[in-house]
Amino acid sequence: MVHLEGPPELLIILPEDHGMTFYEKELLRINAVIYKNHGQIDAIIAVRNYIDSNYASDLNLDVLSKIQCISKYHLLRLFKKYYGLTPRQYLIDKRITHAKKHLENGMSVTETCFAVGFESLGSFSALFKSKTGKSPFQFRKAQFSRSKFNSES
Amino acid sequence: MKVTVISIPVRDQEKALQFYTQKLGFLKKKDTPLDGGNRWLTLVSKEAQDGPELLLEPAPNHFEPSKVFQDALMEAGIPWTQFDVESVDAEYERLTQLGVEFSVKPTTMGTVKIAVFNDTCGNNIQIVEEL
Repeated sequence: MVHLEGPPELLIILPEDHGMTFYEKELLRINAVIYKNHGQIDAIIAVRNYIDSNYASDLNLDVLSKIQCISKYHLLRLFKKYYGLTPRQYLIDKRITHAKKHLENGMSVTETCFAVGFESLGSFSALFKSKTGKSPFQFRKAQFSRSKFNSES
Repeated sequence: MKVTVISIPVRDQEKALQFYTQKLGFLKKKDTPLDGGNRWLTLVSKEAQDGPELLLEPAPNHFEPSKVFQDALMEAGIPWTQFDVESVDAEYERLTQLGVEFSVKPTTMGTVKIAVFNDTCGNNIQIVEEL
């Protein structure tokens, strides 16, 4: 049997970490260490929202850096820090996602190319193929034959 | 190489199928009987039915270390698997109504919002929304 020395009033009862799991404690720690600069995070989220609403226009670092008054280099670095990719990569992914929707809805490849903000059909086709494995023409054709099949079945 | 199937260990494949389709809203894609009552059972998300499949894998019932690992993750509250959602708050509301238990309520972590729930099959699952 273990005897605790000292008067009982000196015994300190430790709350069991307030019942938090290891993961919850890690979330708190990470929030305090990595995500402590709320101003910076809000600014970068605003940049991302801007890209989401203006992906079809001629976006570049100059335009984006003016929105939140962050220098171009700093913006590039912060965006990459918080989203894991550069604004350019993010923009391209966004455009490809929207392009797929347009093509699924039957829009022509050329129309789609300009509707999502690309300036040349060549670069659009090449990028689309490298991202999705199919050229926009092949992708559109595959969608079309699928919907035809569905309507017949 | 392509990512087509991602496994998630479950204690009961049928129970998992019900939870993942009826509560989470996934669709059953493949269901093939295997030896000993096991199934090759995969799901896809409704919005991306040609996307990667989620394999409900009964490993914890047959391979002890898998069970030990799954139990340890559950105990620590760690989600090994996560799904993207449009709105974490909306999903939290919807799933809570359906009786799903959350260990982490909607929480902002920098540029994402997350929440963690129990899938009743041995796993903590995280849902994520990019802000």
